[in-house]
Amino acid sequence: MSDFEIMIDGQTVGASDGETVLTAAIRAGVSIPTLCHDPRLDPAAACRTCLVEVSGSGRLQPACAWKAQADMTVVTENPRIKRHRAVLLSMYLADHALDDEGLPVERPNGNQLREMVIKEGHAFDLVPVAAPRGNREDKNPYVQFNPDACILCARCTRYCDEVEAVSAISLAGRGSATTISTVAERSLLDTSCELCGGCIDVCPTGAMFEGKAPVHAPEAIEKVRSTCNFCGVGCQLDLNVLDGKVIKVTAPPPGTTVNDGNLCVKGRFAYDFVHHDDRLTTPLIRRDDGELHPCSWDEAISAAAAGLLAVKKNHGADALGFISSARCTVEENYLVQKMSRAAFGTNNCHQCAAT
Amino acid sequence: MEKKGSKRQAVLDALTGQGLSREAMARVAELTGVPEADVYGVGTFYTLLAEPGPRVCQGLSCKLAGGDALAEKLEAKGTVHRVSCLGQCDRAPVSLGENNRLDVAGPRGGISPDNPGLVMNLAGEDDPSYPALAWARKMGGEAVIDELEASGLQGRGGAGFPAHIKWRAVRAEAEPTKYVVCNADEGEPGTFKDREIMLRRPQLMLEALAIAAFVTGCEAIYIYVRGEFPEETDALKAALAKGGLEDFEFRFIEGHGAYICGEETALIESIEGRRGMPRLKPPYPTQQGLWGKPTLMNNVETLACVPDILLRGGARFLALGKTEPGTKLYCLSGHVNNPGVYELPLGASLNELVAAGGGFVGTPLAFSPGGASSGVLPMSLADEPLDFKSLAAHGSMLGSAGVVVLNDTVDMAWVAQVQAVFFEDESCGQCAPCRIGARLVRQALDRYLQSGNPDNLEHIEELAWEMTEGSICGLGMVAAEPAVTARRHFSDHFGVRP
Amino acid sequence: MFGAGAMTNSIPEIRDAELLFVIGSNTTEAHPIIAMEMKRAVRNGAKLIVADPRAIWLTEIADIHMQIKPGTDVWLLNAMAHVIIAEGLQDQAFIDAHTEDFGEVIAAVADYTPEKAEEITGVPAEDIRQSARLYATTKHAGIYYTLGITEHTHGTDNVYCLANLVLMTGHLGRVSSGMNPLRGQNNVQGANDAGASPIFYPSYQRVSDPTAQAKFEAAWGVDLSPNEGQNLNQMMKEMGKSIRGLFVMGEDIVLSEPNTGAIEAGLNGIDFLVMQDIFPNETMRYADVVFPAGCFAEKEGVFTNSDRRVQLVRKAVDPPGQARADWRILCDLARAVGYPMPAYADPSEIYAEMASLSPKFAGISHARIAEEGGLQWPCSHVDHPGTVTLHGDGPIKGKGSFQGVFYRPSAELASPEYPLVLSTGRTLYHYNSATQTRRDGGLDAKQSENFIQMHPQDARRLDVANGERVSVISRRGQIGAVVERTRSVRPGCVWMPFHFSEDMANRLTNDAGDAVTGTGEYKVCAVRVEQFSG
Repeated sequence: MSDFEIMIDGQTVGASDGETVLTAAIRAGVSIPTLCHDPRLDPAAACRTCLVEVSGSGRLQPACAWKAQADMTVVTENPRIKRHRAVLLSMYLADHALDDEGLPVERPNGNQLREMVIKEGHAFDLVPVAAPRGNREDKNPYVQFNPDACILCARCTRYCDEVEAVSAISLAGRGSATTISTVAERSLLDTSCELCGGCIDVCPTGAMFEGKAPVHAPEAIEKVRSTCNFCGVGCQLDLNVLDGKVIKVTAPPPGTTVNDGNLCVKGRFAYDFVHHDDRLTTPLIRRDDGELHPCSWDEAISAAAAGLLAVKKNHGADALGFISSARCTVEENYLVQKMSRAAFGTNNCHQCAAT
Repeated sequence: MEKKGSKRQAVLDALTGQGLSREAMARVAELTGVPEADVYGVGTFYTLLAEPGPRVCQGLSCKLAGGDALAEKLEAKGTVHRVSCLGQCDRAPVSLGENNRLDVAGPRGGISPDNPGLVMNLAGEDDPSYPALAWARKMGGEAVIDELEASGLQGRGGAGFPAHIKWRAVRAEAEPTKYVVCNADEGEPGTFKDREIMLRRPQLMLEALAIAAFVTGCEAIYIYVRGEFPEETDALKAALAKGGLEDFEFRFIEGHGAYICGEETALIESIEGRRGMPRLKPPYPTQQGLWGKPTLMNNVETLACVPDILLRGGARFLALGKTEPGTKLYCLSGHVNNPGVYELPLGASLNELVAAGGGFVGTPLAFSPGGASSGVLPMSLADEPLDFKSLAAHGSMLGSAGVVVLNDTVDMAWVAQVQAVFFEDESCGQCAPCRIGARLVRQALDRYLQSGNPDNLEHIEELAWEMTEGSICGLGMVAAEPAVTARRHFSDHFGVRP
Repeated sequence: MFGAGAMTNSIPEIRDAELLFVIGSNTTEAHPIIAMEMKRAVRNGAKLIVADPRAIWLTEIADIHMQIKPGTDVWLLNAMAHVIIAEGLQDQAFIDAHTEDFGEVIAAVADYTPEKAEEITGVPAEDIRQSARLYATTKHAGIYYTLGITEHTHGTDNVYCLANLVLMTGHLGRVSSGMNPLRGQNNVQGANDAGASPIFYPSYQRVSDPTAQAKFEAAWGVDLSPNEGQNLNQMMKEMGKSIRGLFVMGEDIVLSEPNTGAIEAGLNGIDFLVMQDIFPNETMRYADVVFPAGCFAEKEGVFTNSDRRVQLVRKAVDPPGQARADWRILCDLARAVGYPMPAYADPSEIYAEMASLSPKFAGISHARIAEEGGLQWPCSHVDHPGTVTLHGDGPIKGKGSFQGVFYRPSAELASPEYPLVLSTGRTLYHYNSATQTRRDGGLDAKQSENFIQMHPQDARRLDVANGERVSVISRRGQIGAVVERTRSVRPGCVWMPFHFSEDMANRLTNDAGDAVTGTGEYKVCAVRVEQFSG
């Protein structure tokens, strides 16, 4: 449902009132580079990579913030725009940690600046500016910040303010000394931060990163889409698997699932339990000494069956109770009640969260 | 996210004198309902909050007059911050003591002699009966705007945008809540004219603000004065205390040390209690300005022209100009005999201005017509009109008409470097071209001045191009101009040590 | 009441609401992502009314905070209904078309004036009036609640009161409105849906309904009992009495159920306990056999969330050691007692069996979810797109019935000996019995020990300092906790999380249950606080 049409690179595109050039372009399949854009956030137009020519303006304008208007003409590729991107990216390179090839360093969650430089190219090499950003070690194990990989797009601070709404981090300082900071550079643990990790998720260059996740190449991991196992929101998440272990949890892209790209502290970070040494790894059976001892599956299953059947035999099926779990899957709950009813013959079956 | 009922606009005042400790942030957050980190982000943006205390000016005119030596002398005595232009170029070199009052300074600069025929006539006296306001009330808002249109008055803050268009736009807005804001955050290096209006003719400006509020139907008038101008604020308040404008609500806002807040949307952000980062335009302040409401913002000098235009007619004002309408306050400093503020017909040349200011000191080499942002021009243009159109044609701009004269004892590369330091310090840091570019330009000039190797300047023009194309606001667009124009016009005096 | 116990509306609709009435839900801590939607709504201009005994985070951005005394919800909600009726703000057209028995509510709330409610609830009468007016007169107004409403002996009454408000204002069958219980656990909804209930087969078909019984007997090939079973609360109290053998999957009943002392006594009194879990826990001390299970990352299946959204759980890694996915263990156990569980190749076949017996889920399958993303029930056939908003097709099928409700005090009130009212709940940083979250360094660093929130007035009177460890004592038990002095709780009220196995809050809580659901009264019990003594 579009209100009017605009022209992007010669292509007619429907657009609606209040929509930006960028969203119209995305829908039309026109790719415009961006770094500071996130559909959950108000446009900042700070990274300047999405500048395009729009009819009626002599200056280049940010596609992420410029409102589409009827009969507008937009040009996203021409020599002027190419030159702009190339010089701008040269400037970014002078303000970013680089690898041996002179490209922006690879980061655990990827680095969109790196991808952009590879795709768009840059104009020339400059002497690094070594901006005074301060370096902060934060004692929390989850959210860490590397200012050398920061492009100050402020996605993290805007997310913290606009989405998570706790405003634990802010742009601080001014000019080339601008950085991302907590109040008076405290550890996040001593601030209003709720450790949702959204700052990591929105960071395009991996300046915000997960402290406890091992360093790895982004392509080395397999992402397995699943559903969070904590509260009842049903957030979709991607289990990042490396060498048979869950090493990180990331959110699906915004706009694709019920959680709109968001996760909370538990969903994003509380996965250590999966591979914890305390996990039960073998069936246990209580023997005559009164202690639980490891046993085989066959023995455990037989003993459990015999014990429950004995109760049924001595006291009737309704002397048995089956407590199922709101933590387990629908299928498992189905099986417990089926087992309770069909195999043991009682309706004494209830899930743990009887609310 | 702010708490319900938060008082964000109180953040900056609450931060004043508090320092930036965690405890201070917690107090301010508690008081205002704005989150702690947010308060900290605001505090660290403004130098008067982040680095309070005595300061010594490092503007170009002060540097020419021995600003470095003064700084060293003061530093030997105690803590003093080297800061951007303090708006006292006619009294260079200067320093401020506690409470931002002038400490070291030369004698007051010159002004044009008393002449009732001038529009602002700094040497004249205010008329406490506010006759132009009476005229406006009698003739009505449309008549006022018609007269402004007839006068051809262009905004004196730097952009030269016709004043009547803004006034008409805000007047036409249906929104019941609107604001008038006076931009008295004078900070462009070389510029100190608004200062003189506030000190000598405060009623002209106050009267115009009242007229503006009357014409546009605004509920409150904000006057945003840079924090380093406490005497000017005092003068305005004293003038107001004399009475006559009780029908209008004036609110004074003190700046906290950020040049960028002279940019209108950054100024609005600052009033609202935020970091002074310019907004994206559109929407323009006339549509959605202060607290999202239609806002009429004018520079001090623009306003000070209004009473005369109404009382003696727009046509007369128009005719006063030489090449463009009206008279103009030109600030003159640097290598001249009598630095000061001179009211001349708009379009006067450098030579005419310097004649009013007592002549050159030494052999003139270059001049900057409109502050750091206008770059530098050669003396071959000394007879060209100093107006909006002609200077633009020469790749420069009239800007705030902060004219700085440089004689042949200076190295133009050094001049470029002084201005580059200014822009690097004063960039808000929001957008990459300006934040990174200003630093790149300054560092390139540093390296060049140390080594003499022109390879260091290899990409400056290309960087300047991108800063102009890519920056959000005017600061970034012009931040490389001093370097580019100094190279373009002064290859003989670029890198040559005096 | 109307329909089944589930959110009538969807989570993504919250951002477009014009008014949010949040009661008995500390959403930012218990449902952080739903809270993000609420924050977004407020940013977009929505009004927010919070009713909670504590000044929870949401109150910072709320228009009205009704800081209710614990357990007086019926008074508050009836008073709101009183205002709506007294001021004629009800949606009479909706009431006439879609409801019955409105007269019952008119009669019931007649005496519940805001002024009297103020005396009982502690909420200023004017706030009650304002809230009622805002709620009644805002088109897209949704109610969001959770265990603060249900974990009372009058939990069902509380829910009826909320339903009355929804029905009398017509906030049903409309986007960004409705009645929305936020489920506390990943699959509470799904467990109920699957028939893990003493009275329902899957898809809310009653065990006492002969037609349903016959259907499941045919499907499962055995005779089934028509007798309703015991609910969890009853089973816990009957341990060692009528209950002699227990199978417990995925719950630490010692830590999670109220009145820990009684639970422990009960577990000592039963003959046989089988436990299936991923970590050792407190209940394991009583187990005869322990099955090591797979966690969510180690198996396939679906969870059904608060807004009835059925979503896939996918296996990412293998279970550790000999641990096995729960569904495999359950099949083996059933077969070991002689029941021929089918040879399911994987959980998609289990789901297919359930769907074939469940009208509400008949159109849902693993394959469809994999293709289309989560599907919201009801979804009656394979071409059905799922249901975003319940009652959207003509507000309710049949008539929604009002229930006149009268206030009953909580089972245990403050007394001279136990002068403080304790509520328990969840924090952001831990989850339930915290077997998972306390094994994560950052969460444990953020919150590593049990605490009790106490108003400074009470702390002064008791002469206990912030950070001081105290003993908290109820009629049922005693535990330790560190004092957090805060004005976010009412004087006379204290609050404590239940995550800490070394200081189990449920040693204190009252196992008196709601008459209908059996849910324990976790939110109100009487305690006293003393200088710490081991």
